[in-house]
Amino acid sequence: MTAATDAATLGLRGCEVCALVIESPADGAQGGGDLRCPRCGHVLHLRKPESLERTAAYLLTAVVLYIPANLLPVMSTSSVLGRDSHTLAGGIHDLWVSGARELALIVFIASIAVPLLKIAALVLLAWTSHRRSTWRQAERAALYRLVETVGHWSMLDVFVVVLLVGMVHFGVLAGVEPEAGLLAFGAVVVATMLASASFDPRLIWPAQESADERR
Amino acid sequence: MSDADPQPLGSPPASPQPPDPVLARRNRLRLSLVWTVPIIAVIVGAVLVVRALLQTGPEIEIEFRSAEGLEAGRTEVRYKEVMVGRVKAVNLSPDRQRVLVRVGLVKSAAGLAVEDTRFWVVRPRIGTAGVSGLSTLLSGSYIGVDAGTSEESQKLFTGLDTPPLVLRGEPGRSFVLRADDLGSLDVGSPVYHRRVRVGRVVGYSLDERGRSLLVKVFVEAPHDPLVTTRSHFWNASGVDLSLSAAGLTVHTQTLASVLAGGIAFADGPEEEGDAPTAPAKAGAEFRLYATQRDAMAPEDGDPMRVRMVFRQSLRGLEVGAPVELLGVSLGTVRDIELQSDPRGGTGSPLKLEVRADIYPKRLGRLREAYVGADRALADRQLLADLVGQGLRAQARTGNLLTGQLYVALDFVAPKPGGPPRGRGFDPKAEVPLLPTVPGTLAELQPQLAEVVSRISKVRFDEIGSELQGTLAALRGTGTSLQGTLASAEGMIKQLTPTAQQALADVRQTLAAAQTALKNADASLTDPQAPLQRGAQQTLAEVQRAAQALRVLADYLQRHPESLLRGKPADAVEAPK
Repeated sequence: MTAATDAATLGLRGCEVCALVIESPADGAQGGGDLRCPRCGHVLHLRKPESLERTAAYLLTAVVLYIPANLLPVMSTSSVLGRDSHTLAGGIHDLWVSGARELALIVFIASIAVPLLKIAALVLLAWTSHRRSTWRQAERAALYRLVETVGHWSMLDVFVVVLLVGMVHFGVLAGVEPEAGLLAFGAVVVATMLASASFDPRLIWPAQESADERR
Repeated sequence: MSDADPQPLGSPPASPQPPDPVLARRNRLRLSLVWTVPIIAVIVGAVLVVRALLQTGPEIEIEFRSAEGLEAGRTEVRYKEVMVGRVKAVNLSPDRQRVLVRVGLVKSAAGLAVEDTRFWVVRPRIGTAGVSGLSTLLSGSYIGVDAGTSEESQKLFTGLDTPPLVLRGEPGRSFVLRADDLGSLDVGSPVYHRRVRVGRVVGYSLDERGRSLLVKVFVEAPHDPLVTTRSHFWNASGVDLSLSAAGLTVHTQTLASVLAGGIAFADGPEEEGDAPTAPAKAGAEFRLYATQRDAMAPEDGDPMRVRMVFRQSLRGLEVGAPVELLGVSLGTVRDIELQSDPRGGTGSPLKLEVRADIYPKRLGRLREAYVGADRALADRQLLADLVGQGLRAQARTGNLLTGQLYVALDFVAPKPGGPPRGRGFDPKAEVPLLPTVPGTLAELQPQLAEVVSRISKVRFDEIGSELQGTLAALRGTGTSLQGTLASAEGMIKQLTPTAQQALADVRQTLAAAQTALKNADASLTDPQAPLQRGAQQTLAEVQRAAQALRVLADYLQRHPESLLRGKPADAVEAPK
């Protein structure tokens, strides 16, 4: 990274879709409209617009929704034995007590630990980027990649419940119904995904001059 | 964070140019749009929280004897089968004597948390009266509620051990029945009136001293006015078989009551002097009779205790055996007691004293002649007079198979040596003594003994030896018979010559008879004999007649019409 530079300083922009590199027009030429890729028509921008702000908003949403997601029951099972509502924590507890500790661990990681860590990681990323911090930039970039990868799996609970609701339909004998908590949980996952999507990892690497100052 | 302007990042080399304000405006617009997402989330969350808060009602604590079937977080509280709350925690009371169940009621059921609300645990109950709480078999127990009407709210309740007898506000009336035993009744057993189910048994308890049983019944509206001051209740359980002159009669209520038991009631027989019939007050006490017959029998009134002394075995006489006057049941035997008998009339040092209760009311119109200020004394006087006319008590066999005895009161002709009439029944005594005569079997026994002793008096030995002598004499007779036969032979021998002579005479007579017959033969067979000739002539005549008949027959064969028309005149000439 000795001659580290970025597209902005070179006056270039890359199309995110077709990878065409074009020269940044003069600032005045932007006018009121968007810059578009001459080849594929995709909107061109140097950084994702309002990246940190959006990330922060989605993160806030996720944090707010995380509370009902864990307090409200995510599903209720009804059988001839009666009707039972399960919260996430209650389900994990039941699994743990009944001896299925591996399963409990998986569910715990997928539905409580991962969303929490994801939110925490994104908060950290957004906060450091906002501060234009150069602290452990490579690790932060790795953290972002991890968040993106793990994000694919965070809807596990929702899938399980949706599958159960679809499959377990035995009239009065047994049935599974989703509850408000599941909606909240799904919203948390969606919000974290939106947050990580709206976060621009390039913001981890602030303008070169500040990096140079550090060095 | 709203100040976090991406502008310097997005276009670092930007200079204050005219487009800037345009861009900033657009940015601000986007900014506010993005922030609506967390705002909506907050609103949704707040709504959820507020709704949850609105739904939670008051929290109450119920004390139970045991937490059997109660589970924190699962067990529901139901009022009229509607979920009105849920058990939140189950704890022991500080003194560890009882269980404290913390229940969170739903908002709409907040009115249940008042002073006189009752709680109990609904568990499956399988009884003869039916199955209840069956759903709890699978779903687990729940806490039932009977809503109180009080205005005083309360937080701590004491749970009932059993479901309440009658739910509050249920229309109808409760009554108390005093019974000797429960029979096959149980809580929930039906109460019938004219075989219609009108109520149920809601509980029973022993009275304070354990002497009798108090059965609480609830008669549901609109049938509750059917229970009147005159109502008689009886245990309608099982089958009441009665064999009478009218045949076999089976009395039952419904089939269900045969199996499960039940109580029936009806208005008892009307009696003069009773207050007019009116619906019974709630909580009124009645007697529960064992059978319908007992219940509907006229009131017996106060019993009169009498005692009877028997000097015989009373095997088969039981407490409760009937006392009958000419077949009419007058009362029952109360007790039988062995007593010493100093008089020793029969040689036995003991006697049996039987005490019996007699219901003078069953004497009916007989009592009318005896009126007095003291009803009991008048009844005793009546009995004394009957005894004076020869009334005696006697232990009789009621059932030959089982040897059951009963006490029969009957009029007995006085024995010459018996006690004088009327002796022994003192109407003024505390427990008057009713004179007795030995029972039928007891009477029979001495007679049998006499017969046996008489038989034993017969001297069978002497009869045997005499018989032997007779036989010996008979043998002597046999030898003399032989002599007689020998002399008879001799006599026959002497008779023989005479007999030969007599036979020769007979032969001569026979020869004479032979000649006589020969003569007769000659007179018959000679052709010249007039008989023979006459016979020949007769036969010739017959022959001619036969010929003429044959001619006639031939002619008739040829001219059958002649039978109708007669013979033609010339035709007869021609063949001739």
